[in-house]
Amino acid sequence: MPLGPFIRDAAGADSVSVDAGEVLTGGAIQENRALKVKVHGGPFEGTHELVLRAEAAATIPESRPLEQQFRLLKAAHADGVNVPEPLWYCGNRSIAGKPFYLMRRIAGEALGVRVTRMGPLPEIAATLGGELARIHAIAPPDERLSFLEPVATSPALDAVARYRGYLDAEPEPHPALEWTLRWLELNAPPAGEIVLCHRDFRTGNYMVDPESGNRLTGILDWEFAGWGDPHEDLAWFCARCWRFSSPRLEAGGIADRRVFIEAYERASGRRMDPAQIAYWEAMAHVRWAVIALQQAMRHRSGAEPSLELALIGRRIAELEYECLRLTGVL
Amino acid sequence: MRNRPDAVELIETAEKTLTGDVAPDLSPRKRYSVALIAAALGIAKRELRGGPTAWPGEMGALRELYGTADGPADHAAALSTLNRRFAADLRAGLYDEPGRGRKLAMTLLGNDVVARLTEDNPRYEK
Repeated sequence: MPLGPFIRDAAGADSVSVDAGEVLTGGAIQENRALKVKVHGGPFEGTHELVLRAEAAATIPESRPLEQQFRLLKAAHADGVNVPEPLWYCGNRSIAGKPFYLMRRIAGEALGVRVTRMGPLPEIAATLGGELARIHAIAPPDERLSFLEPVATSPALDAVARYRGYLDAEPEPHPALEWTLRWLELNAPPAGEIVLCHRDFRTGNYMVDPESGNRLTGILDWEFAGWGDPHEDLAWFCARCWRFSSPRLEAGGIADRRVFIEAYERASGRRMDPAQIAYWEAMAHVRWAVIALQQAMRHRSGAEPSLELALIGRRIAELEYECLRLTGVL
Repeated sequence: MRNRPDAVELIETAEKTLTGDVAPDLSPRKRYSVALIAAALGIAKRELRGGPTAWPGEMGALRELYGTADGPADHAAALSTLNRRFAADLRAGLYDEPGRGRKLAMTLLGNDVVARLTEDNPRYEK
């Protein structure tokens, strides 16, 4: 069955015409394609700009299956988080060759290099603090998210075990990452409040629309979300590796970190511990490093030959550098 | 003896031709690919200029930690074996306590990472 009839049935329409648009950049793991859909009849009557998100040829272990991403996006949307409205998921491979879902296309720029060149964006940073608080208002148990793995020992020690497992699957040893993981094991904070963590809440994964006065138009990429420690998302947003062109603006390369954290604290009613944020920043660099190793392996294994993926393998040194700095070695 | 220009000089010239001569006439999408190619050539050039390790002291430091007695004779294989042992010992907590071993280990980690960073991304703001 081609895409048109699928949308027609899902939208309860009489007929549908689909114009396939460009492949959208962003997301080294998933594929996103713009679609213009004309719906005749039914509740979706009209023209819609949509995005079709499909699973890429090779994924990494941290990535959630597309159906879970869709359910996370649905829960976030229902709870008032600013995300592209999710419409329909399709697990039938006969339509696009792989599972996909459709969501509304949002306007704006997501590319980290470009967003961080728009100059300081303190209002966006503050808005993002509020959005993150809304995400963290989702907590277990939540029937909609029953597929999320429970925390085993503590979010920190679970992460250490998981990343060690990933390192064990790599052909080469990585002493600087092993050192950092040992440090993270010895300095792990006890399990505290558990919330829904986005786990990729950073510059590059939200859209800013310069056409509407640099407004935040949505938070993207829910493929890594799971139960965890709220400090983790704040640290990931502030980590040096996600500041792109503006390394001195500690909140995602767009603002002073206080602007972001204080906005989060106001909206969530939580007081965040700077020491725990620093701890999770070290974890952030280990995590990005192990993901980068896996990305590079997608190229090295021949599964998905790509210069972009190959070069991710040579980003490890800067992540290790930050690990050593954050654990007091440098 | 090889002819000149040598590998590094060839890469350097290819890099300049690519960014100076080829890139300006390309679409933004292709220019992005050219930027990736130039980045790859730059890393390859700096790696070739160095030796088998980014930090020349790496093997010496590992030998100081683990001695020279066992391990393969081949340099690359020895380096890999020693680093594997170093990584496992770090995980097992053998370098948790302050002392000579810990100091050596930290010097090795720091120098190695900084040397690799200089090869891979010399413009990184430290």
